[in-house]
Amino acid sequence: MNKIKVLVLLSLLVTAFLLDVAMGSVHIPLKDVIKVLFTPDAGNDTWVYIIEKIRLPKALTAIIVGCGLSVSGLQMQTLFRNPLAGPSVLGITAGASLGVALVMLSAGSITSLYTIKELGISGSWLIIMASSLGAALIMILIVGISSSLKDNVIVLIVGVMIGNITLSVISIWQYFSSPELIKDYLLWTFGSLGGVTGGQLLILAVVVAAGLLISFLSSKLLDALLLGDNYARSMGLTVKRARILIIASTSILAGGITAFCGPIGFIGIAVPHLARALFSTSNHRILIPACCLIGTVLMLICDIIAQMPGSQTVLPINVITALVGSPVVIWVIAGPKKLRGF
Amino acid sequence: MAEQKILLHTSGLTIGYPSGKNKSKAIAGPLDLALFAGQLVCLLGPNGCGKSTLLRTISGLQEPLGGGIELEGKNLRQLKPSQVAKKISLVLTDNVRSGNLDVYSLIALGRYPYSGWLGILTEQDKLIIDQAIKATGTGAFLGRKIDSLSDGECQKVMLARAMAQDTPLIILDEPTAHLDLPSRIQLMRLLHQLAKETNKAILLSTHELDLALQVADQIWLMSSGGGLDAGLPEELVLNGAFQHAFNKDEIEFDAATGTFNIHYAGKQTISVTGDSTTAFWTRKALVRNGFSISATAEKKLTVSGEDSHPVWEVDDNGKRAVYTTLSEFLDTIKI
Amino acid sequence: MMRKINCRSVSGIFPCLILSLLLITSCKQQPSGQKHTSAKTGSAEIKYAKGFNIDYYDTYKLVSIYSGSGTHADTVQYVLLKKGVKAPEGYKKAQLIQIPVKSLVAMSSMHIALAEFAGSADAITGLGSMLYVNSPAVRKNIAAGKVKEIGIDGTMNNEILISMKPDLVMVMGNPDAKFNKYETLTGAGVPVMLNSEWLETTPLGRAEWVKLMAALMDKETLVNTKFETVEKEYNRLAEIGRKAVSFPSVIVNMPYKGTWYVPDGDNYMVKFFKDAGASYKWADLHGKGSMPLNFEAVAPVALKADFWVNTGTMKSKNEIKATDNRYADFKPFKADQIYNNNKKVNDIGSNDYWESGAVNPQLVLGDLIKIFHPELKLNHELVYYKQLN
Repeated sequence: MNKIKVLVLLSLLVTAFLLDVAMGSVHIPLKDVIKVLFTPDAGNDTWVYIIEKIRLPKALTAIIVGCGLSVSGLQMQTLFRNPLAGPSVLGITAGASLGVALVMLSAGSITSLYTIKELGISGSWLIIMASSLGAALIMILIVGISSSLKDNVIVLIVGVMIGNITLSVISIWQYFSSPELIKDYLLWTFGSLGGVTGGQLLILAVVVAAGLLISFLSSKLLDALLLGDNYARSMGLTVKRARILIIASTSILAGGITAFCGPIGFIGIAVPHLARALFSTSNHRILIPACCLIGTVLMLICDIIAQMPGSQTVLPINVITALVGSPVVIWVIAGPKKLRGF
Repeated sequence: MAEQKILLHTSGLTIGYPSGKNKSKAIAGPLDLALFAGQLVCLLGPNGCGKSTLLRTISGLQEPLGGGIELEGKNLRQLKPSQVAKKISLVLTDNVRSGNLDVYSLIALGRYPYSGWLGILTEQDKLIIDQAIKATGTGAFLGRKIDSLSDGECQKVMLARAMAQDTPLIILDEPTAHLDLPSRIQLMRLLHQLAKETNKAILLSTHELDLALQVADQIWLMSSGGGLDAGLPEELVLNGAFQHAFNKDEIEFDAATGTFNIHYAGKQTISVTGDSTTAFWTRKALVRNGFSISATAEKKLTVSGEDSHPVWEVDDNGKRAVYTTLSEFLDTIKI
Repeated sequence: MMRKINCRSVSGIFPCLILSLLLITSCKQQPSGQKHTSAKTGSAEIKYAKGFNIDYYDTYKLVSIYSGSGTHADTVQYVLLKKGVKAPEGYKKAQLIQIPVKSLVAMSSMHIALAEFAGSADAITGLGSMLYVNSPAVRKNIAAGKVKEIGIDGTMNNEILISMKPDLVMVMGNPDAKFNKYETLTGAGVPVMLNSEWLETTPLGRAEWVKLMAALMDKETLVNTKFETVEKEYNRLAEIGRKAVSFPSVIVNMPYKGTWYVPDGDNYMVKFFKDAGASYKWADLHGKGSMPLNFEAVAPVALKADFWVNTGTMKSKNEIKATDNRYADFKPFKADQIYNNNKKVNDIGSNDYWESGAVNPQLVLGDLIKIFHPELKLNHELVYYKQLN
């Protein structure tokens, strides 16, 4: 039974991937798309450029982001036994935003930023580094706090509050900034799958792969945590250490993705529910790969919709994930009883 | 009787909570206790006396305030959780329904200390799980989700999980709470069987005095002052420990009947002669109606005849009357 | 001016009512400039700008600033009076400004340029932000402590403004926008002028706003002469540009990841291109001035374009490539034909293109023609644009 589901998902994945690469603002016939994908040096230069340098990296980014966000969301839902938890719940993405805001909103006034650029570190790498540092900072803070707190609920609340404080600091910054800088930052918050190319894509893939590996190896831990801290400890789990490991791998996934693509929401909350409902299991050895599969398909579909095929404009990816993700969450939680995850 | 193995013993154990900086609130202690293989021990005591705290401390979930705990000869605090997990398994009152787990997966989690890196189960693991399922009679609900089970079924599943963990000591915190009477009896019977047949030591806390007195090999009786009396159930009754532990607002433990008296001592007295079941229940009815049974009372009741055809004869200062139904008798005597 | 109406007969009542109605409604039309005590003596000659108008009367000047959509439905009016002159009747909604303005608070670089063009840079006593200033006169005044920092937009400090009692506060806005933001100021007697020069669709139209400043500073003659020179030179160059033999293609601005904001036909930048003899793909599209296009839609054009201009804050080809290595595939990158308008940046990082460049469109046009048509061998040194290496 599961095998059939996996096969269906895989074929959905391939279809969505092809569609994502085939559709866009510039009309390219499907057979030409396939020609470009599978034969080197094929056809129209412009089309080759668009497919190889614009659409293909974007689709690959969608796959990576879909996997990474879904699995980190799953881990948060398990650790806190909360169906509404997601990768951003501990304020990691808020921390990433803080780093980016620091770079973007102080752009005009700090001559030191001038000098950093002189050193050859360009705008986008600067953003990526600042974002990662911000996420890492919050992660260390949360890990530090959680190792002295026994109760998971308290850690969750502290994480949410830290996220709020961070976002408030960013708001104050925006208040004092000029419209052009605010617009730059606003554009970043819309999220974008499109800007990750070449070396950046490679690093993103490596970071997410590392995070996914750690998550998968923590499957047993996660299963035990489903019964709560006391039972987990009685089964031999060192709960504090487990918590730190899970928070760390989630931060790597969520922080890394946010650094390259901006904050992308909803996928992390919706996909674990879909995976649980579809495969009817709580076993993380199955759920983690399931989340990857489903997350990838969903992300590709969101990207296809965001491109508004045929039109010249493109919608921000965050808008689409929210529009697609919210009904999914509602359907899973309020729908037929057997689909309810928690 | 073969020499019994001590699985766990405490020396001078004080339990409690830290409350603020460098201060702590002791709840009970110092305690010297021992758990032996093959024994079922029931922990009894009024609410708030620290039963849960004691269980949590003994199982390693909570730090003791003082004293030591030894598990199979080794200091509990120096053991790693993974080592303790192979010796002690728990059944708690924690809510596990919010995990979307199905019954088999939940029970299988009991093999956690033994399964490898990724938690993959071996044939041996599956065998032990199946044994646990059979012993607890949970085979019927294997495919269902935990939140679709009734309280009684859920408790059996949690016990099966603890059994799958295959530990010499199982500790249960109020396993009979929220269960209906038949389920309670079933569970206690099961636990007693477990102790005898598998030679496990079982420690549970409960409010079911009745069942505990019938089934426990040892009773640990905690009182609100922080003291603990341990011993055979019958000894604790006969030496008055029971009465003392539950002594509160005129609640009396009646050693003769093994129950607590709800009713205050009756104003009228009557003596009852007879050994049948009818006589036993007649005494109860009289007490409920405000009588106290005394051999030297002026009113005398004799219950005779077979249980199918009982006869009540009353001799009230010479006046005699005979009744064939209990209600007739009670209606008359109440006046 | 009410005539006595004989309404004694019934049949005379109806026309009386109509007449009275007409009189009442015509009285309400006073803001359009009719039926006033003084007669209009003329209007400023405004050839290119569409956002404002100046009417001259005996004792005052009337400035009208129009809403950006071109219809004059939402006009904001200002009455400019010399000191001691009595305010004219019938302008209940207009703000009164005392001229010549001796203390001006400016919120944008362009306002500084307007003042500088009119030779009145010393009148600036307050700035929204001290970060973007190129005018030497204003910088000297800042150094001497004569200019206060007010804050921009939401952080505009009303208290400082009111205590300064400036003759005028000039903000970037348009009559469509809500005026209530500035009610605290206007209520305290500080006049606020909402300039909408940034909505003009042609370079000369933008620059012509110097005439508004001229009216405020009583420097009409000086400014009109200066502007005529600017106008003549611009048109001369535009002739040359439009007559070029071939029109190279140009793309503009830096994209941000998947989105590329490009100007449309209603943007003054596109008019520059037309006058400089360059072809621009979206020149015939009309819209709000800027369109957010999919990177994918613009990239094919960029791959084949001859020139790439206005690349944000980029200072070198390396920076552009580091932002996204796909930009290195564009033809302008490969052929070294990237020109950015950040040549004239001073030591505090302020780009004069946005200040003096706004009131000297002939210099910008000269730059562009020199860039697009090297074959014309124009006698002009690049002022605001530089080639990126």
